[in-house]
Amino acid sequence: MNNLLKVEWYKLQRNKSFWVITLTVSALSVLFHCLIITEWWMMSGTPFDAAGLGELNGLGVFTVPFIFNLIVASLAGFFISGEFSNNGIIRTQMMSGHNRSKIYLAKYLIFSFGSLMITILIPLITALIIVSAFGYAEIWSVENLQFLSRAYSLFTIQFLGYTAIIMLLSIITEESGKTILFSILLNIVMIGMQQFPSESIVGVIYNYSIFQQFSDVFTPMMLGREQIKAIVIGLWTIFVITVCGMFLFNRKEIK
Amino acid sequence: MSEYILRTKNLTKKYKHNYALENVNLNIKQGEIYGFIGQNGAGKSTLLRLITGLAFPTEGTIEWFGNDDPKGLTNAQKRMGALIESPALFPNMSAFENLEIQRIQRGIPGRESIDNILQLVGLMDTKNKKVKNFSMGMKQRLGIGIALLSDPEFLLLDEPINGLDPTGIVELRELIKNINHEKGITVLISSHILSELHLLATSFGIIHKGKLMEELTAKELDEKCRQYLQIKVDRPAIASTVLEQELATSDFEIMQDGTIKLYDYLDDIRTVSLALTQKGLIMEHLSQNGDSLESYFSKVIEEGEHE
Repeated sequence: MNNLLKVEWYKLQRNKSFWVITLTVSALSVLFHCLIITEWWMMSGTPFDAAGLGELNGLGVFTVPFIFNLIVASLAGFFISGEFSNNGIIRTQMMSGHNRSKIYLAKYLIFSFGSLMITILIPLITALIIVSAFGYAEIWSVENLQFLSRAYSLFTIQFLGYTAIIMLLSIITEESGKTILFSILLNIVMIGMQQFPSESIVGVIYNYSIFQQFSDVFTPMMLGREQIKAIVIGLWTIFVITVCGMFLFNRKEIK
Repeated sequence: MSEYILRTKNLTKKYKHNYALENVNLNIKQGEIYGFIGQNGAGKSTLLRLITGLAFPTEGTIEWFGNDDPKGLTNAQKRMGALIESPALFPNMSAFENLEIQRIQRGIPGRESIDNILQLVGLMDTKNKKVKNFSMGMKQRLGIGIALLSDPEFLLLDEPINGLDPTGIVELRELIKNINHEKGITVLISSHILSELHLLATSFGIIHKGKLMEELTAKELDEKCRQYLQIKVDRPAIASTVLEQELATSDFEIMQDGTIKLYDYLDDIRTVSLALTQKGLIMEHLSQNGDSLESYFSKVIEEGEHE
């Protein structure tokens, strides 16, 4: 497993798309934070606004599934699916004498780490730097930091559930374009599900999904049971989707 | 340890209603260079994909290194190196980086193994060049290098000659012969280029439309493809004496029907005819016979068509 993790990390470091997405997100993140702090862009109604952290409204962009999906799905497309279509590079890995479940898990872990870095860490770090540089360092109070660490810890669990879904999608489609396309369709379906009344079956399913949790975890005050609910939904999604992915990957015939 | 490095029993692969492979019983002995001959689409790559675990059989079993437990596949994979269809390489990485990925993946200690392989496949000077700028031949050599990196006991090469220039073909042939002789690596090499396989392989398997038509050693194939003079005379025993005494040859055999197969004097039919007739033998038939490699292959394929 150690060798598989090392090799995935080696590949990620040398993946052009990973660096292009990283630089793009870094640039966009800097731009959003600057525009919002200098009030060139008036943004309101974000979860950060509700928590009294309007200076961090730029982070709100990266917590919307429809937006961060573009980052995650692009990385999955070029990092995971690309190995199936690009000269069938996946073949050498499948013949390397490693258990297929372990290969899948190593890919999931490194892909999730890469996605996490681009989607969560970079915007957070740029926010920290820019907000401080523009003289708003006082927002880093203990209370606000507690809110941010609770919200982002729970968000990260949901996010790992989402990367598990996109990973599964990329293994099924085996093509970068299709991975991105189907991930957008998935988001459209989820937006559609969101419109159902909460007492309907579809509404209940949506309420107990990571998609509802993506916004719930940023609620300024969260009860203990709500936090447990978020953790259970996130971990359950990661577990179920990853097991499904491993099952499919073990039965997949490589062209 | 089993004398066979690979055996398949009734191996079948079916896609919907089409058989890509049907009841294939393949036997590859340790130390052999096994040439797997078949036309395009005959099922060569499918068989190699089943052996390496990229695809799964519909029916039948595969025995790797004497072990037919499907759970032993991952262990078998560690002892195999393979190049299936086109070389699977990262185009934006250098030859060195492509090999480094395989080295880390397989847990091979020390980077010197990479240099050894680059030296072996003749890519040392271009080790830092990106693979996307490689010629097809260079990619093919790097693909073979990757297959050899883990020091495998069994090497599977699917159409490795594709894309190579004449010099590259000769170099590859020598490379395969060397690793087989010096390191004792068993090689399974598939190709539709008969002449090339004939120069290399010690055993052959002929596949057609998913069925293994015949397995034979190089010696048996040579015998079958050997040219001879077919002689039919009224007294074969006397003809035999004439051949031995007058023409000083013992390179012939007398068949059950009295026909003589003479493997000598192929370019001098007149001398043979004269020697026999001068001794008063009545010549009923004299002709040059025997299959070329291509015609033998065609004959086997044709038999398969009529089955």
